[in-house]
Order: sequence, then structure tokens, then C-alpha cells
Amino acid sequence: MSEEKTHVEDIDRALYDFRYEDKDAFKVEGGLSEEIVEQISREKNDPSWMRDFRLRSLEIYRRTPMPDWGPSIEGLNMDNIVTYVRPNTERMNTKWEDVPENIKNTFEKLGIPEAERKSLAGVGAQYDSELVYHNVREEVARRGVIYTDIESALHGEYADMIKEKFMKLVPPEDHKFAALHGAVWSGGSFVYVPSGVSVEIPLQSYFRLNAPGAGQFEHTLIIVDEGAYLHFIEGCSAPKYNVANLHAGCVELYVGKNATLRYSTIENWSKNMYNLNTKRATVAEGGKVEWVSGSFGSHVSYLYPMSILAGRKARAEFTGVTFAGAGQNLDTGCKIFHIAPETTSYVNTRSISKDGGISTFRSGVMIGHKAEDSKAAVSCQSLMVDDVSRSDTIPAMEVNTDKADIGHEAKIGRIPSDAVYYLMSRGISEDEARALIVSGFADNVSKELPLEYAVEMNNLIRLEMKGAIG
Amino acid sequence: MSEIINRPIVNTFGRFGANGVKVELPSDIKVSELIVEEGQSRIVTLEDVSYKLNATVKAGGTLELVQLHEDESLLINDVKVTCEKGATFKWYRAILGGSGEASSYDNCSVYLNGDDSSFEAYVGYRLGGKENYDGNVEAIHYGKNTESKITASGVLADDARKMLKSTIDFRTGCKGAVGEETEDVLLMNETVRNRSVPMILCGEEDVQGEHGATIGRLDENLVYYLESRGMEHEKVYEMMAEAKLNTVLRRIPDHELE
Repeated sequence: MSEEKTHVEDIDRALYDFRYEDKDAFKVEGGLSEEIVEQISREKNDPSWMRDFRLRSLEIYRRTPMPDWGPSIEGLNMDNIVTYVRPNTERMNTKWEDVPENIKNTFEKLGIPEAERKSLAGVGAQYDSELVYHNVREEVARRGVIYTDIESALHGEYADMIKEKFMKLVPPEDHKFAALHGAVWSGGSFVYVPSGVSVEIPLQSYFRLNAPGAGQFEHTLIIVDEGAYLHFIEGCSAPKYNVANLHAGCVELYVGKNATLRYSTIENWSKNMYNLNTKRATVAEGGKVEWVSGSFGSHVSYLYPMSILAGRKARAEFTGVTFAGAGQNLDTGCKIFHIAPETTSYVNTRSISKDGGISTFRSGVMIGHKAEDSKAAVSCQSLMVDDVSRSDTIPAMEVNTDKADIGHEAKIGRIPSDAVYYLMSRGISEDEARALIVSGFADNVSKELPLEYAVEMNNLIRLEMKGAIG
Repeated sequence: MSEIINRPIVNTFGRFGANGVKVELPSDIKVSELIVEEGQSRIVTLEDVSYKLNATVKAGGTLELVQLHEDESLLINDVKVTCEKGATFKWYRAILGGSGEASSYDNCSVYLNGDDSSFEAYVGYRLGGKENYDGNVEAIHYGKNTESKITASGVLADDARKMLKSTIDFRTGCKGAVGEETEDVLLMNETVRNRSVPMILCGEEDVQGEHGATIGRLDENLVYYLESRGMEHEKVYEMMAEAKLNTVLRRIPDHELE
């Protein structure tokens, strides 16, 4: 008996696909040169060490080869990418009323001000290359929590801290797009949570890339001091254009002794985006980093958040879901380095491939010589929704001590037809049943997100599965 | 003559050295072509330390290949097998070193072209001293209802180094295929280095693939139990190391062990 396939319409991305002309914005020329890097540096009023750092990064970029592994990035022509676009507003605002109408409308449609009122302790909103809005609740600020744009922090009382930490976890030598980031970075957030302070409700930064053919290179630097707690949420989207856009952001997280940082991301870039992002955390003794990651958008992604467990009993958890649809090649996963004794890590991921999409899970777990009595467990599951898609699982484990326990399991399969049949016999249509099963498959991530974001994620899955919400 | 026998598969961040290892093949390497005729069953033992084998197992045939080596100075082994409809290939591979400095390079690529064909691999290793093993096993599923099972089990001691890449590759059209990989590695010393890259590559919806790996020391409850029965700590590890190897060795057809 041949199985009848679900008919899936093109996806309605109207929720994210609106755009505004950027005629009033300031842009540098396309491509990359010393002049452009110096121009960005002047625009941003960099201290001299940062200007030198940018130029050194440019040199490293030029001599570093393109990655010879992973999805093809041949469609990305750096000569066409505009690396800096300043929206038509005076720098950062702390009131939504002061944000220009079209930009404010953008974030209204994305629900950011509403989320801020309801459930966030602070919000940063970046439009193209600059933060246009940044605010933190007064009661949170009173407890000494700093949440600001990174450019302001570079000139304020935390300037030395920034200089000490900036691109130390992800040095420009790390790979070609880290070097590119070092040369042209702009925007992003700086967060400092003082010792012992627990920020009960999350902070959120939202990154919106509006300009066609542009790159976004925001830098996020978070320091959670001893015994503190923070949940940071990152969201991103862009309208679709016929030209390639590039996202090469950088996230550096410093988790202090006995501190905990949860870093959640729902990534929904448009499907002309090359998402070559780098995220890394270092965790001190007894500290914990929790990554919750949903990857739904972009044309090509290379994304592997890394956790360095540097202190005794440091912990890392990575929970992720990747959904690759038509025209997408999403290469995602994580890296965990155990370099201190009694460290533990747990990785739990799901991948879904549909309509010719390619999803690759790639992980690296390294147990160093000194990581005695450490434990690592990796579990990854993949779901093939049709027979024109691809799903690859590429886990690597390196163990350099005998006093460690490492476990790994992976599974790949398709939507079980008996489960679809069961749901259909209960009056649910076939496409609804399949969407429901896929949502359930991704519940490892939705369970870890605040309710509003879990709903958003499930809506994205339904969009991908059925072509419409509702 | 030079050739990549351990071919590049998929790089894992560049860091884990999953690129192909270029090995200079010795000029006197034995090269064999082997055809197992339709419905035939053959058991073949290869004793040479450098060997290149291309085999075809025709419809309904079975080939069992045994390669067992002890304390050699250098092993280079390159096996390619094509299975036609309903054919079966079983590979028994054991490297029983323990104190030398040998380097071993292994490649076994199996093409399950015919419907209902199957492949079973049993890889066992005991490495010590400064020995190094770099192995690559891949099952490439083209035919419908094909099956592969890759089982690896080994023990590393002293300064031994080991890399095992095992791949189940489901190509589009291999409907109903099933693949399973398992690896169990016992680490005996703090100076060993184990690297494992078990991959499942999938271009077909109607398949089932699974992988499981356990790497590290013995379960402490097991060690405590055996010690409480009067067994010395070293003896416990020796016994369990032997048990791990036996999961592979006991599969080897009986008359070969004789």
C-alpha cells in the first residue's frame, strides 16, 4: 500500500518578511578594505586599541583560507557585502517613542515592546549595524546589573573590562569569519551581572537586518560574576531578498564561580542569509552554562556554540533543534571542552529535514588530560520528513584520560506512519498530525524556553510543516 | 606509489583529524581481486600485513573475511567489497598489540548495491606501548532493505593512540535500509588518546539508523563487586579487557581460530 504524502504549500513568512526602504541610512561601500575598516572605526569613535585591533583582524582575515568543510558558501561574495549600515536615527534610544517610526513598527510587528512590558527585565534592539533601543528595568539596574550597548561600554567605567575580555575567547585567528567580525563588528550588547545577583526574569536582545546585501556583525559580551544567575534571550530575523546577506556575529560568555547563565536563541533569519556565527562560553569552578538553541532560518548556517569547562565541577548543557526546509543547508551542533576535573556535559539535539533541506548535526566533545572524573553524554536524533531531504550526523569524541565516562547515542528515522494513522483516526487531518508529531519531536527545546518563546517556536514548526499557522 | 587509503570523509571542524591519512603504500603490497560467485560461501583469511583487496560478492553469496594481526611493525589494509542482491559480507578484524610502536591503517568500504544485501563488521583492538591505530569503516547503502552492523570493541593502555571513523551512509533510494553502529572502548591509562567519529549520513527517508558509544573506564559498581569477591584491581581490569576483545574474537568462524 503506497502512503499518501502530505501536500505542503509554500511557507507564508509574512510575519517576518516585511521590509522598509533604507534610503535614509548611512552605508559604507560594499567589500572590505583598510579604508572601509577605518571608516567604521571613525563612525564608532573607537579607542585607538580597537582601531588597531580591527586592522590586525583584517590582515588575519586576508591570510585565512575559507573553511574547506561544511556547506558551500560560494554564493557569498564578500565584494558585494556592505559591512556597515547605520539606520536613520541618532544612536541608541531608551524610549520606544524616540525610535523612528519605520524601525519602531518593525519591532512592534515582531512583538518586542510587548514582550518587554510583559516578561523581560531588559531589551536591546539592533537594526542593521546599530542598536536603536536599549533599556533595562530600574529595579534590575539598581542591583548593579549592567545591560547596555557595547560601544557605550567601551567608553564608560567598564572600558578596561571590555578591553580585557573582547575577542579573547574567540580570537580573530580562530577562523576566517571570526577575523572578519574582528575587523567590522558593530552593535551588540554588554551585560554584567555582579556577584550574587540573580536576575529572575530574562534579558533579551533582538537583531533585525533590514538592508539588502548587508552584513550584521554584532558582538555580545556577557559576564556573570560569582554566584549570579542570568537568562539571556537572543532573537533574530530579516526579510528575504534576492541577494546574499551575511551574519557573522560573535558571542562571548564568561560564567563565574558557581554562577549560571542560560543563553537561549530562536534564530529565524531569512532564507538568503549566510549565518556564520560564533558563540563561546568559559565556565569557572562550579558554574554552569545552558544553551537552548532553535535554528529555523538562513540559507546556510555554520553554528557550533562552544563551552569550555575550565573550573572544577563546571557544567554545560546544550539543547538544540534545527529545522532545515527548502533551499536550506544548516550545519549546526556544539563543541564541549572538558579541561578541569569533575566537569560534566549533556548534549540533547533534534534535527528535522524537509522539502530538500539539508540538516547536519556536528559535535565535538574533548576530554583533556586534567579532566579526571568528568562525564559527557551526547544524544542526537534526526527526523526525515520526506525522501528529497538530507540529514547527517557527525559527532566526534576525543578522550585523553582514562578517568572519564563518555556516552553517545544517535538515531535517525522518519515520522512513524502508525502514529499519523492513530491521530487521523481521532479526527485530526494528516498534515495536522504530522505537524503535531514534529512539534513533539522538538519538545526538548520548547520545554526549556519561556512560554512565549516556546509558542513562537511551535508556530515556526507549524509554518514549516503546513505553510500556515492555525 | 602513494595513495590515500583512509580517505577523507567529512571534516569535523578540522580539529579531530578526520581528514584522510596519506599513507605510502609499500611497493610490494599484495593486491587481490576476489569474486564470490552466486550462491557461494567463502571464508578467507588474510595474513599479510599490507593488503589491498577488491571483492565482489554476487547474488546470494557470502564472504567472511578474517584479518587478525599481533604485534606487527606496520599494518596497511585497504578492503573494498561490493555486495550484489542478497549477498552478505562479514569482516572480522582484530589487532592484538600491546607493547610496541606499530602504526596500523585500516580502511574497509562496503557497497551494499544489491537489494537485501548485508554487512557485518567486528573490529577489536588491544593497543599498548606507543601503538597507533587509525581505522575507517563505512557501509554505503544503495540497495533496498539492506542492513549493516558495525561493532567495535577495544582496549587502550600506556601511550596508545586510536582513531576510529565508522560511517553508515544511506543513499537516496535505499528504502527499508537499517544500520547500526556500536563502539565500546576501555581506557586503562591516563596517557592514552582515544578518538571516535561515528557518522550517520542520510539521504533517504525510509531508513533506520542508530549509533551508540561508551568510552572510558569500568563501571565503579562492577569493579567494587569484583573486588569484594577477592579479585585484585588489576585482575578486574585484565579480565574485563579480555571480555571486551572477546565480543569480537568469539565471532570469528571456529575453524579459523583452530
